[in-house]
Amino acid sequence: MEAGKNQSLFKGKPIKILLAKPGIDGHDRGILVLAKAFRDAGMEVIYVGLLPTPEEVVDTAVNEDVDAIALSLLNGAHMTVFKKVADLMKSRGVNDIAVIGGGTIPEADKPKLEKMGISGNYGPGTPISTIIEHITSRAAEMRKLKAMEE
Amino acid sequence: MIPLRLDELIQGIIKGDRRSVSRAISIVENEQVSFNAKKIVKEIYQYTGRAHIVGITGPPGIGKSTMIGNLSAMLSDIGRKVSVVAIDASSPFTGGSLLGNRIRMQESLTRHGIFMRSLANRGLKGGLSRSIWDTVKILDASGSDIIIVETVGAGQADLDVVNLAETVLMVLGPGLGDEIQAIKAGIMEIGSLFVINKMDLPGAFIAQKDIEETLAMSPRGEWKPPVVGVNSLTREGYEDLIKEIDRHGKFVKKSSDLSFRKFRTELEITIDEELRSRFHQEIMGFLTDSEKIRSLMEKRTDPYSAAESLINSIA
Ligand code: B12
Ligand SMILES: Nc1nc2c(ncn2[C@@H]2O[C@H](COP(=O)(O)OP(=O)(O)OP(=O)(O)O)[C@@H](O)[C@H]2O)c(=O)[nH]1
Ligand SMILES: [Mg+2]
Repeated sequence: MEAGKNQSLFKGKPIKILLAKPGIDGHDRGILVLAKAFRDAGMEVIYVGLLPTPEEVVDTAVNEDVDAIALSLLNGAHMTVFKKVADLMKSRGVNDIAVIGGGTIPEADKPKLEKMGISGNYGPGTPISTIIEHITSRAAEMRKLKAMEE
Repeated sequence: MIPLRLDELIQGIIKGDRRSVSRAISIVENEQVSFNAKKIVKEIYQYTGRAHIVGITGPPGIGKSTMIGNLSAMLSDIGRKVSVVAIDASSPFTGGSLLGNRIRMQESLTRHGIFMRSLANRGLKGGLSRSIWDTVKILDASGSDIIIVETVGAGQADLDVVNLAETVLMVLGPGLGDEIQAIKAGIMEIGSLFVINKMDLPGAFIAQKDIEETLAMSPRGEWKPPVVGVNSLTREGYEDLIKEIDRHGKFVKKSSDLSFRKFRTELEITIDEELRSRFHQEIMGFLTDSEKIRSLMEKRTDPYSAAESLINSIA
């Protein structure tokens, strides 16, 4: 911030995103890399640590009113655990928070995840810029859904 | 479902519906001084004033978030409805932020179903975010008994919390080095309670004595700030801490001087913001008019005269 300039508050509305690794998986390098990259891209980032339950993930997302949840699993449990998160969102009627997946996800699983409403599903080697672009566009969709009538 | 109409949202807040509370906070945060944001606060204002607002401040890493985890769990156990807001700094370069306070209290929050919200300061200095005043009102109107606010944790810079909270916990501990000297020289006044955390570590007793002596030498009013030592890993000392928080809460509710100052400051900030937002377009128009800037560069006018002529043309 420029010295001597009046406290100028950011006028923007940064994307708010929750990062989570639900399920027993200690591979946290990727998610930590993403947390920093998202912050550097101007997002407000919350990481709830290892092993949150799907319930905890959804509760946190709602209380924090994030635009997107980024789920990361490298242990192969994505088809059950990501699904649990998506199901909980549906049963609670949360339709204005995007669910985005990633980690080690075989090609064959991607369409199935998409069908559950989980998009992205990027794996090792994906350029960070691709991931950020995807999140930005999903977050924009969600902001539209969140718009209030006066 | 989250109500999409403002009047339903406002009813939701008053009934304590989480999703309404949560969305309303986003509105006051993202659409400050907008019609919707102001309408929410106008409509709920009469329902505020019941909650005890407790601010937690102190240098980075001293244990503020861990303390909130413990306090909120113990207060929930005795039947209080606790809400938590924690503020982190935004990067001045990108505007992004890692909101890292939640992770330290997540376990308590989950176990007791406590509402917690992380906010980024979005460039506001002083340890708070601009939306925190409205956020606290929303939580107050939604039926909270106690609202705990964690400041950014920039140590000596976190002064604004006195204008928000009724009770301010200044958290200190061993191993602060020069920081504690700076705090002693500068911002001792803002603490209603001094908490020495990490009593399990060497140096904690010395820190406690140090603060007690400093307080004994400072001029004091009707309220003598107590010093409480705690260990946040074992919750030793927390019963005392809660007792003192409650005692101070009762004290401020009686003391009208303190609240008068708080309300006055809030009004002042609000007027400032309203003025600025009302004339935002004119000011931006003026600032983007290159002819105006050029006349400054060529000394055909000076900054004061230019500003005066802008204000005169608006008013
Ligand atoms: C490093 C590593 C470890 C380290 C983890 C250290 C840590 N704290 O993270 C250690 C040695 C501890 C480890 C242990 C194990 N590992 Co290991 N590990 C790896 C390895 C080699 C690299 C992972 C990594 O850190 N990559 C670097 C980061 C930056 O990339 P990333 O995590 O992939 O994330 C990127 C993308 O995937 C994507 N992304 C990730 N998440 C998300 C989320 C969203 C929303 C989006 C959009 C994108 C996205 O973006 C990231 C940045 O580009 C992988 C193999 C591989 N090449 O992937 C195996 C691998 C993941 N491990 C594996 C296994 C089996 C294990 C173990 C069970 C035992 C073992 N055989 O070694 C244990 C279990 C540990 C546990 N408790 O869970 C298997 C998993 C197999 C599977 N899926 O079925 C793998 C695939 C190796 C293999 N081919 O067998 N492992
Ligand atoms: N030994 C000891 N460690 C503690 C105690 N309380 C907290 N800690 C540790 O101190 C570290 C920082 O704790 P936080 O609660 O994140 O501190 P904070 O003041 O909220 O930090 P910021 O928000 O980053 O300024 C963590 O590793 C805690 O486990 C305590 O009483 N004793
Ligand atoms: Mg903290």
